[in-house]
Amino acid sequence: MAKYYDIDDIITEEETVSVIFQKAASGVGIDPSAEMDFVEAGSKVELPFWLAHELHLRQAVSVNVPLCFNQKTRLEIQADSASVDLRSRCPFFYEFGCKMAPLVADRTIGFLLLSAFKSRYKEVLTKAHTASFEAGSKFWTILTKEEINLYETAQSAMASFKKWRIGGARFQIASILRRKRKPTE
Amino acid sequence: MAGQSDSELSLFSAEELEFTAEDELVEIVPNLKMPPLNLISGDFGPFTPQIVTKVPLWLAVALKKRGKCSICPPQWMSLEKLTQVLEAERDSQEMSEQLPFHYVEISRLLFEHARDNIPDVYMVRSLIEDIRDVRFHKVETDLEAFSGRTIAVKIKNLSAMEVNIVRPFIGRALQAFYKHDSPELIPDPERVSDSRPQVVNNAPRRQLRR
Repeated sequence: MAKYYDIDDIITEEETVSVIFQKAASGVGIDPSAEMDFVEAGSKVELPFWLAHELHLRQAVSVNVPLCFNQKTRLEIQADSASVDLRSRCPFFYEFGCKMAPLVADRTIGFLLLSAFKSRYKEVLTKAHTASFEAGSKFWTILTKEEINLYETAQSAMASFKKWRIGGARFQIASILRRKRKPTE
Repeated sequence: MAGQSDSELSLFSAEELEFTAEDELVEIVPNLKMPPLNLISGDFGPFTPQIVTKVPLWLAVALKKRGKCSICPPQWMSLEKLTQVLEAERDSQEMSEQLPFHYVEISRLLFEHARDNIPDVYMVRSLIEDIRDVRFHKVETDLEAFSGRTIAVKIKNLSAMEVNIVRPFIGRALQAFYKHDSPELIPDPERVSDSRPQVVNNAPRRQLRR
Protein backbone atom coordinates (compact mmCIF):
# COMPACT_ATOMS: atom_id res chain seq x y z
CA MET A 1 0.00 0.00 0.00
CA ALA A 2 2.95 2.28 -0.53
CA LYS A 3 1.04 4.20 -3.13
CA TYR A 4 -2.15 4.58 -1.14
CA TYR A 5 -1.78 8.32 -0.69
CA ASP A 6 -0.10 8.96 -4.02
CA ILE A 7 -2.30 11.53 -5.73
CA ASP A 8 -1.14 10.51 -9.20
CA ASP A 9 -2.04 6.94 -8.47
CA ILE A 10 -5.51 7.97 -7.38
CA ILE A 11 -6.07 10.03 -10.52
CA THR A 12 -4.84 7.15 -12.64
CA GLU A 13 -7.46 4.89 -11.17
CA GLU A 14 -10.17 7.42 -12.00
CA GLU A 15 -9.62 6.76 -15.69
CA THR A 16 -12.73 5.18 -17.20
CA VAL A 17 -12.73 1.83 -18.91
CA SER A 18 -15.58 0.17 -20.69
CA VAL A 19 -16.69 -3.11 -19.24
CA ILE A 20 -19.29 -5.71 -20.08
CA PHE A 21 -21.33 -7.07 -17.24
CA GLN A 22 -21.23 -10.86 -17.08
CA LYS A 23 -23.85 -11.08 -14.37
CA ALA A 24 -26.98 -9.12 -13.80
CA ALA A 25 -26.77 -6.76 -10.89
CA SER A 26 -29.63 -5.12 -9.13
CA GLY A 27 -29.78 -2.19 -6.81
CA VAL A 28 -26.88 -0.40 -8.45
CA GLY A 29 -27.12 2.96 -10.10
CA ILE A 30 -23.88 2.82 -12.01
CA ASP A 31 -25.45 2.82 -15.44
CA PRO A 32 -26.87 6.32 -15.93
CA SER A 33 -28.78 5.40 -19.09
CA ALA A 34 -30.77 2.67 -17.40
CA GLU A 35 -34.27 3.48 -16.30
CA MET A 36 -34.14 1.39 -13.20
CA ASP A 37 -31.40 0.52 -10.76
CA PHE A 38 -30.73 -2.66 -12.53
CA VAL A 39 -27.97 -3.76 -14.86
CA GLU A 40 -28.57 -6.63 -17.21
CA ALA A 41 -25.96 -9.19 -18.02
CA GLY A 42 -24.18 -8.31 -21.24
CA SER A 43 -24.68 -4.54 -20.98
CA LYS A 44 -21.77 -2.31 -21.71
CA VAL A 45 -20.95 0.32 -19.11
CA GLU A 46 -18.18 2.84 -18.59
CA LEU A 47 -16.72 2.55 -15.11
CA PRO A 48 -13.74 4.09 -13.39
CA PHE A 49 -10.80 1.75 -13.26
CA TRP A 50 -10.86 1.14 -9.51
CA LEU A 51 -14.43 -0.10 -9.65
CA ALA A 52 -13.88 -2.14 -12.79
CA HIS A 53 -10.87 -3.73 -11.16
CA GLU A 54 -12.79 -4.82 -8.09
CA LEU A 55 -15.69 -6.14 -10.16
CA HIS A 56 -13.27 -7.95 -12.40
CA LEU A 57 -11.76 -9.72 -9.42
CA ARG A 58 -15.22 -10.97 -8.54
CA GLN A 59 -15.73 -11.99 -12.17
CA ALA A 60 -18.78 -9.80 -12.49
CA VAL A 61 -17.47 -7.92 -15.52
CA SER A 62 -15.06 -8.39 -18.37
CA VAL A 63 -12.86 -5.48 -19.29
CA ASN A 64 -12.35 -4.13 -22.80
CA VAL A 65 -9.08 -2.66 -23.95
CA PRO A 66 -9.34 1.08 -23.31
CA LEU A 67 -9.32 3.55 -26.16
CA CYS A 68 -5.83 4.84 -25.52
CA PHE A 69 -4.38 1.43 -26.33
CA ASN A 70 -6.38 0.89 -29.50
CA GLN A 71 -5.05 0.02 -32.90
CA LYS A 72 -4.93 3.61 -34.11
CA THR A 73 -2.73 4.74 -31.24
CA ARG A 74 -0.48 1.76 -31.77
CA LEU A 75 0.02 2.60 -35.40
CA GLU A 76 0.79 6.19 -34.56
CA ILE A 77 3.31 5.13 -31.95
CA GLN A 78 4.97 2.85 -34.44
CA ALA A 79 5.12 5.59 -37.03
CA ASP A 80 6.54 8.44 -35.00
CA SER A 81 6.28 7.87 -31.31
CA ALA A 82 7.94 11.11 -30.31
CA SER A 83 5.24 13.33 -31.73
CA VAL A 84 2.17 11.41 -30.59
CA ASP A 85 0.13 13.44 -28.16
CA LEU A 86 -0.19 10.84 -25.43
CA ARG A 87 -1.20 13.38 -22.85
CA SER A 88 -4.57 14.09 -24.42
CA ARG A 89 -5.25 10.38 -24.74
CA CYS A 90 -4.37 9.53 -21.20
CA PRO A 91 -2.17 11.67 -18.96
CA PHE A 92 -1.04 8.58 -17.08
CA PHE A 93 -0.51 6.44 -20.13
CA TYR A 94 2.22 4.21 -18.69
CA GLU A 95 0.87 3.78 -15.19
CA PHE A 96 -2.59 3.09 -16.53
CA GLY A 97 -1.14 0.63 -18.98
CA CYS A 98 0.67 -1.22 -16.23
CA LYS A 99 -2.58 -1.49 -14.30
CA MET A 100 -4.63 -2.52 -17.30
CA ALA A 101 -2.30 -5.17 -18.66
CA PRO A 102 -3.21 -7.91 -16.16
CA LEU A 103 -6.94 -7.24 -16.55
CA VAL A 104 -7.38 -7.54 -20.27
CA ALA A 105 -6.62 -10.56 -22.34
CA ASP A 106 -4.35 -8.56 -24.63
CA ARG A 107 -0.77 -9.43 -23.77
CA THR A 108 0.80 -6.90 -26.08
CA ILE A 109 0.12 -3.85 -23.96
CA GLY A 110 3.28 -4.28 -21.93
CA PHE A 111 5.31 -4.46 -25.06
CA LEU A 112 3.60 -1.39 -26.47
CA LEU A 113 4.40 0.56 -23.32
CA LEU A 114 8.04 -0.39 -23.35
CA SER A 115 8.59 0.38 -27.00
CA ALA A 116 6.73 3.68 -26.73
CA PHE A 117 8.71 4.70 -23.69
CA LYS A 118 12.00 3.64 -25.20
CA SER A 119 11.64 5.79 -28.26
CA ARG A 120 10.03 8.75 -26.52
CA TYR A 121 12.72 8.65 -23.87
CA LYS A 122 15.31 9.63 -26.45
CA GLU A 123 13.33 12.69 -27.39
CA VAL A 124 12.98 13.70 -23.75
CA LEU A 125 16.67 13.14 -23.19
CA THR A 126 17.82 15.34 -26.04
CA LYS A 127 15.44 18.14 -25.21
CA ALA A 128 15.57 18.05 -21.42
CA HIS A 129 19.11 19.19 -20.75
CA THR A 130 19.55 21.59 -23.61
CA ALA A 131 16.29 23.23 -24.62
CA SER A 132 15.46 26.57 -23.11
CA PHE A 133 12.36 26.87 -21.03
CA GLU A 134 10.24 28.53 -23.74
CA ALA A 135 11.16 25.99 -26.38
CA GLY A 136 10.53 23.20 -23.92
CA SER A 137 7.11 24.32 -22.79
CA LYS A 138 5.71 23.70 -26.26
CA PHE A 139 7.22 20.26 -26.35
CA TRP A 140 5.94 19.02 -23.05
CA THR A 141 2.26 19.52 -23.82
CA ILE A 142 2.34 16.11 -25.48
CA LEU A 143 4.17 14.26 -22.74
CA THR A 144 2.54 12.03 -20.20
CA LYS A 145 2.91 12.64 -16.50
CA GLU A 146 5.77 10.21 -16.13
CA GLU A 147 7.70 11.77 -18.98
CA ILE A 148 7.08 15.23 -17.60
CA ASN A 149 8.53 14.16 -14.28
CA LEU A 150 11.61 12.89 -16.03
CA TYR A 151 11.88 16.03 -18.09
CA GLU A 152 11.50 18.30 -15.10
CA THR A 153 14.12 16.45 -13.08
CA ALA A 154 16.61 17.04 -15.84
CA GLN A 155 15.58 20.66 -16.26
CA SER A 156 15.82 21.46 -12.59
CA ALA A 157 19.22 19.79 -12.25
CA MET A 158 20.48 21.82 -15.17
CA ALA A 159 18.87 25.00 -13.88
CA SER A 160 20.43 24.67 -10.45
CA PHE A 161 23.80 24.05 -12.04
CA LYS A 162 23.46 27.18 -14.18
CA LYS A 163 22.39 29.19 -11.20
CA TRP A 164 25.46 28.06 -9.34
CA ARG A 165 27.75 28.86 -12.26
CA ILE A 166 26.45 32.37 -12.63
CA GLY A 167 27.12 32.80 -8.96
CA GLY A 168 25.60 35.06 -6.43
CA ALA A 169 25.59 35.23 -2.72
CA ARG A 170 27.77 32.47 -1.41
CA PHE A 171 26.12 32.32 1.97
CA GLN A 172 22.43 32.61 2.39
CA ILE A 173 21.05 34.48 5.33
CA ALA A 174 18.71 32.42 7.43
CA SER A 175 15.22 33.82 7.13
CA ILE A 176 15.06 34.45 10.85
CA LEU A 177 18.07 36.76 10.70
CA ARG A 178 16.75 38.77 7.81
CA ARG A 179 13.64 39.75 9.68
CA LYS A 180 13.61 43.30 10.77
CA ARG A 181 13.46 43.99 14.40
CA LYS A 182 10.08 45.03 15.59
CA PRO A 183 9.96 48.67 16.56
CA THR A 184 9.81 48.91 20.30
CA GLU A 185 7.09 51.03 21.70
CA MET B 1 18.93 18.40 -0.05
CA ALA B 2 18.89 21.91 -1.29
CA GLY B 3 17.70 23.09 -4.61
CA GLN B 4 16.58 20.07 -6.52
CA SER B 5 13.18 18.61 -7.00
CA ASP B 6 13.40 15.10 -5.64
CA SER B 7 15.36 14.57 -2.49
CA GLU B 8 15.63 10.82 -2.97
CA LEU B 9 17.34 11.07 -6.29
CA SER B 10 19.77 13.93 -6.04
CA LEU B 11 22.46 13.72 -3.44
CA PHE B 12 24.34 16.95 -3.74
CA SER B 13 23.61 20.46 -4.80
CA ALA B 14 26.15 22.34 -6.87
CA GLU B 15 27.16 24.35 -3.82
CA GLU B 16 27.92 21.20 -1.86
CA LEU B 17 30.09 19.92 -4.65
CA GLU B 18 31.93 23.20 -4.68
CA PHE B 19 32.52 22.69 -0.99
CA THR B 20 34.10 19.28 -1.59
CA ALA B 21 36.21 20.68 -4.38
CA GLU B 22 37.70 23.21 -2.01
CA ASP B 23 39.78 20.43 -0.47
CA GLU B 24 41.86 20.10 -3.61
CA LEU B 25 45.36 21.44 -3.28
CA VAL B 26 46.64 24.46 -5.20
CA GLU B 27 49.94 26.27 -5.20
CA ILE B 28 50.10 29.77 -3.87
CA VAL B 29 52.78 32.40 -3.54
CA PRO B 30 52.21 34.04 -0.19
CA ASN B 31 53.30 37.55 0.60
CA LEU B 32 53.18 37.21 4.35
CA LYS B 33 55.24 35.39 6.92
CA MET B 34 53.37 32.86 8.98
CA PRO B 35 54.24 29.65 10.86
CA PRO B 36 52.82 26.37 9.51
CA LEU B 37 49.11 25.69 10.02
CA ASN B 38 48.36 22.33 11.60
CA LEU B 39 44.96 21.22 10.36
CA ILE B 40 43.20 17.89 10.53
CA SER B 41 43.79 17.31 6.85
CA GLY B 42 47.53 17.97 7.24
CA ASP B 43 50.12 20.64 7.89
CA PHE B 44 50.37 23.54 5.50
CA GLY B 45 53.10 26.11 5.31
CA PRO B 46 55.31 27.60 6.61
CA PHE B 47 54.42 30.68 4.66
CA THR B 48 57.34 32.79 3.52
CA PRO B 49 56.99 35.60 0.98
CA GLN B 50 57.78 34.56 -2.61
CA ILE B 51 58.16 30.87 -1.70
CA VAL B 52 55.60 28.63 -3.40
CA THR B 53 53.61 26.37 -1.10
CA LYS B 54 50.65 24.03 -1.44
CA VAL B 55 47.42 24.69 0.41
CA PRO B 56 43.79 23.61 0.08
CA LEU B 57 41.74 25.72 -2.26
CA TRP B 58 39.55 27.15 0.49
CA LEU B 59 42.62 28.45 2.31
CA ALA B 60 44.03 29.86 -0.88
CA VAL B 61 40.78 31.68 -1.59
CA ALA B 62 40.61 33.01 1.95
CA LEU B 63 44.18 34.33 1.79
CA LYS B 64 43.60 35.74 -1.66
CA LYS B 65 40.55 37.64 -0.49
CA ARG B 66 42.72 39.34 2.13
CA GLY B 67 45.39 40.08 -0.43
CA LYS B 68 47.92 37.83 1.29
CA CYS B 69 48.85 35.62 -1.63
CA SER B 70 48.59 35.07 -5.34
CA ILE B 71 47.29 31.76 -6.61
CA CYS B 72 49.23 29.86 -9.27
CA PRO B 73 46.65 28.43 -11.63
CA PRO B 74 47.00 24.65 -11.95
CA GLN B 75 48.87 23.16 -14.90
CA TRP B 76 45.77 22.04 -16.72
CA MET B 77 44.38 25.58 -16.76
CA SER B 78 46.91 26.79 -19.28
CA LEU B 79 45.84 27.80 -22.76
CA GLU B 80 47.91 25.14 -24.57
CA LYS B 81 46.79 22.31 -22.33
CA LEU B 82 43.12 23.23 -22.61
CA THR B 83 43.28 23.58 -26.37
CA GLN B 84 44.83 20.15 -26.49
CA VAL B 85 42.13 18.71 -24.24
CA LEU B 86 39.38 20.29 -26.31
CA GLU B 87 40.79 18.75 -29.45
CA ALA B 88 41.08 15.37 -27.79
CA GLU B 89 37.49 15.62 -26.60
CA ARG B 90 36.27 16.52 -30.06
CA ASP B 91 38.19 13.73 -31.71
CA SER B 92 36.95 10.74 -29.78
CA GLN B 93 33.77 9.55 -28.18
CA GLU B 94 35.69 8.61 -25.04
CA MET B 95 35.91 11.18 -22.31
CA SER B 96 39.41 12.48 -21.87
CA GLU B 97 41.10 11.80 -18.55
CA GLN B 98 43.35 14.81 -18.56
CA LEU B 99 41.19 17.04 -16.42
CA PRO B 100 40.81 16.70 -12.67
CA PHE B 101 37.64 15.31 -11.11
CA HIS B 102 36.53 18.74 -9.90
CA TYR B 103 37.56 20.83 -12.89
CA VAL B 104 34.24 22.66 -13.20
CA GLU B 105 34.22 23.74 -9.57
CA ILE B 106 37.91 24.60 -9.33
CA SER B 107 37.85 26.69 -12.47
CA ARG B 108 34.79 28.57 -11.33
CA LEU B 109 36.29 29.33 -7.93
CA LEU B 110 39.48 30.57 -9.50
CA PHE B 111 37.63 32.70 -12.05
CA GLU B 112 35.67 34.27 -9.28
CA HIS B 113 38.46 34.96 -6.81
CA ALA B 114 41.72 34.95 -8.68
CA ARG B 115 41.04 36.41 -12.11
CA ASP B 116 44.18 38.51 -12.00
CA ASN B 117 46.40 35.44 -11.48
CA ILE B 118 45.18 33.56 -14.55
CA PRO B 119 46.83 34.47 -17.83
CA ASP B 120 44.40 34.84 -20.80
CA VAL B 121 41.46 34.51 -18.48
CA TYR B 122 38.82 35.06 -21.18
CA MET B 123 40.25 32.45 -23.49
CA VAL B 124 40.70 29.96 -20.65
CA ARG B 125 37.17 30.51 -19.54
CA SER B 126 35.62 30.00 -22.94
CA LEU B 127 37.79 26.94 -23.55
CA ILE B 128 36.56 25.35 -20.34
CA GLU B 129 32.99 26.14 -21.32
CA ASP B 130 33.54 24.52 -24.71
CA ILE B 131 35.10 21.45 -23.16
CA ARG B 132 32.20 21.13 -20.77
CA ASP B 133 29.68 21.39 -23.60
CA VAL B 134 31.45 18.80 -25.71
CA ARG B 135 31.70 16.42 -22.78
CA PHE B 136 28.10 16.89 -21.83
CA HIS B 137 26.99 16.15 -25.33
CA LYS B 138 28.92 12.88 -25.13
CA VAL B 139 27.18 11.97 -21.92
CA GLU B 140 23.83 12.51 -23.62
CA THR B 141 24.86 10.30 -26.49
CA ASP B 142 25.84 7.61 -24.03
CA LEU B 143 22.51 7.86 -22.28
CA GLU B 144 20.66 7.28 -25.53
CA ALA B 145 21.85 3.70 -25.37
CA PHE B 146 19.40 3.03 -22.54
CA SER B 147 16.84 0.39 -23.19
CA GLY B 148 14.68 -1.95 -21.21
CA ARG B 149 17.29 -4.18 -19.73
CA THR B 150 19.95 -1.62 -18.98
CA ILE B 151 21.08 -2.19 -15.44
CA ALA B 152 24.15 -0.02 -15.45
CA VAL B 153 25.85 2.64 -17.47
CA LYS B 154 29.55 2.80 -17.96
CA ILE B 155 30.95 6.23 -18.64
CA LYS B 156 34.59 6.71 -17.90
CA ASN B 157 36.25 9.83 -16.53
CA LEU B 158 33.08 11.68 -15.78
CA SER B 159 33.67 14.68 -13.57
CA ALA B 160 31.88 15.39 -10.31
CA MET B 161 29.67 18.13 -11.65
CA GLU B 162 28.75 16.23 -14.77
CA VAL B 163 27.67 13.23 -12.73
CA ASN B 164 25.69 15.45 -10.48
CA ILE B 165 23.75 17.08 -13.29
CA VAL B 166 22.64 13.84 -14.88
CA ARG B 167 22.20 11.82 -11.70
CA PRO B 168 18.52 12.62 -11.00
CA PHE B 169 17.61 12.08 -14.63
CA ILE B 170 19.42 8.76 -14.88
CA GLY B 171 17.90 7.55 -11.65
CA ARG B 172 14.39 8.23 -12.81
CA ALA B 173 14.95 6.93 -16.29
CA LEU B 174 16.39 3.65 -15.05
CA GLN B 175 13.50 3.24 -12.64
CA ALA B 176 11.01 3.80 -15.42
CA PHE B 177 12.75 1.35 -17.71
CA TYR B 178 12.90 -1.20 -14.95
CA LYS B 179 9.20 -0.84 -14.31
CA HIS B 180 8.19 -1.19 -17.94
CA ASP B 181 10.43 -4.12 -18.59
CA SER B 182 9.22 -6.20 -15.69
CA PRO B 183 8.54 -9.82 -16.69
CA GLU B 184 4.87 -9.62 -15.67
CA LEU B 185 4.15 -7.03 -18.33
CA ILE B 186 6.19 -8.48 -21.13
CA PRO B 187 5.61 -12.13 -21.90
CA ASP B 188 8.60 -14.19 -22.89
CA PRO B 189 8.26 -14.72 -26.64
CA GLU B 190 8.41 -11.02 -27.30
CA ARG B 191 11.43 -10.60 -25.09
CA VAL B 192 13.35 -12.80 -27.42
CA SER B 193 12.22 -11.06 -30.56
CA ASP B 194 13.23 -7.73 -29.11
CA SER B 195 16.92 -8.23 -29.61
CA ARG B 196 18.26 -4.76 -30.07
CA PRO B 197 21.99 -4.34 -29.82
CA GLN B 198 22.95 -3.39 -26.33
CA VAL B 199 26.12 -1.62 -25.54
CA VAL B 200 26.00 -1.63 -21.82
CA ASN B 201 24.20 -4.81 -21.02
CA ASN B 202 26.41 -6.82 -18.74
CA ALA B 203 28.32 -4.09 -16.98
CA PRO B 204 28.48 -5.37 -13.42
CA ARG B 205 28.37 -2.03 -11.66
CA ARG B 206 28.13 1.58 -12.53
CA GLN B 207 31.68 2.73 -12.87
CA LEU B 208 31.86 6.46 -12.97
CA ARG B 209 35.52 7.08 -12.74
CA ARG B 210 38.52 4.96 -13.06
